[in-house]
Amino acid sequence: MTLLRDIASELIGMFLADACLTGAVLALVLLVAALTLGLGVPPLIAGGVLLLGCLVILAGVAWREASRQDRV
Amino acid sequence: MSTTYGAQNEVELTDPVSWGVAAPAVGAAFAASAVEVVEAFTVVLAVATLRGWRPAVSGTLVALAALTGLVLVLGPLLDRVPLHPLQLGIGVLLLLFGMGWLRKAVLRAAGVIPVHDEEAAFAAETKHLAAEARRRHASLAWIAGLAAFKAALLEGLEVVFIVIAVGAGRGLLWPAAAGALAACVAVLAVGTVVHRPLSRVPENALKFGVGVMLSAFGVFWTGEGLGVQWPGGDLILFLFAALFLLTGLVTASLLRRPIGETPR
Repeated sequence: MTLLRDIASELIGMFLADACLTGAVLALVLLVAALTLGLGVPPLIAGGVLLLGCLVILAGVAWREASRQDRV
Repeated sequence: MSTTYGAQNEVELTDPVSWGVAAPAVGAAFAASAVEVVEAFTVVLAVATLRGWRPAVSGTLVALAALTGLVLVLGPLLDRVPLHPLQLGIGVLLLLFGMGWLRKAVLRAAGVIPVHDEEAAFAAETKHLAAEARRRHASLAWIAGLAAFKAALLEGLEVVFIVIAVGAGRGLLWPAAAGALAACVAVLAVGTVVHRPLSRVPENALKFGVGVMLSAFGVFWTGEGLGVQWPGGDLILFLFAALFLLTGLVTASLLRRPIGETPR
């Protein structure tokens, strides 16, 4: 049972280690899906939004964690 | 497009451009596997030091067999999933996983969080194993074998995901698996010769590189899954990787702590 619990926690940790990162990435993918599938925005522009969004999220979550560490 | 990965696989393998994606796929699998095997080797070495190589090797081999079975079961199952949902699903998982690695690597490079210390991990694992054997009054060989199995299995899960994720969308499952296996053999060979934790492997640099490549694959697959036809096809992966690398390096540089302020 301990092994199964460890496997489950490893799998969860692989994708959900940082709730802020997970939430932001999922929200971005939903936004891009809405742009392409719902609003008819050209797919290449939506792809650009996806790429830029990911870069901003990366810098943002790293910045947020560094600020949090400073406060501790 | 209603084609499945299996059909796409045959088309792509005859397309020379598809090998533009092969190098990053195999490279990501190799580097990720090297990082994970170094961490697993630390535990396996602790087991071998405490109880000999037999339980260490047995536990590791059983874990490798389980992981191989996982790839053999999951690989063909993916053939049945339509291409676009498969690309979208794997793309989102790659974004979550790759950007998670990259975030941690950036924070380590900036000195915000400490780097992984294999020597400390080895000492902690040896102490933990000895205490566990005393507490449970069980055979140390059994506990040692189980510890090796668990370490190889848990570290290997990430490698299996990476191999499937970077390999599945373009029929590169076996080249990616070969890249991971090559890293495994290389690390184990070096580890067996030096017979001590591999603390000099540039683990954070490797994690930085893997995070960059997985994040680039994540954007590529997610976009394709949503119907984006990327200009340049597979080759645009290199541009994505360069942008993630640049963003990571600039962020690490802006967040860099003075030497001595890094937590240990």
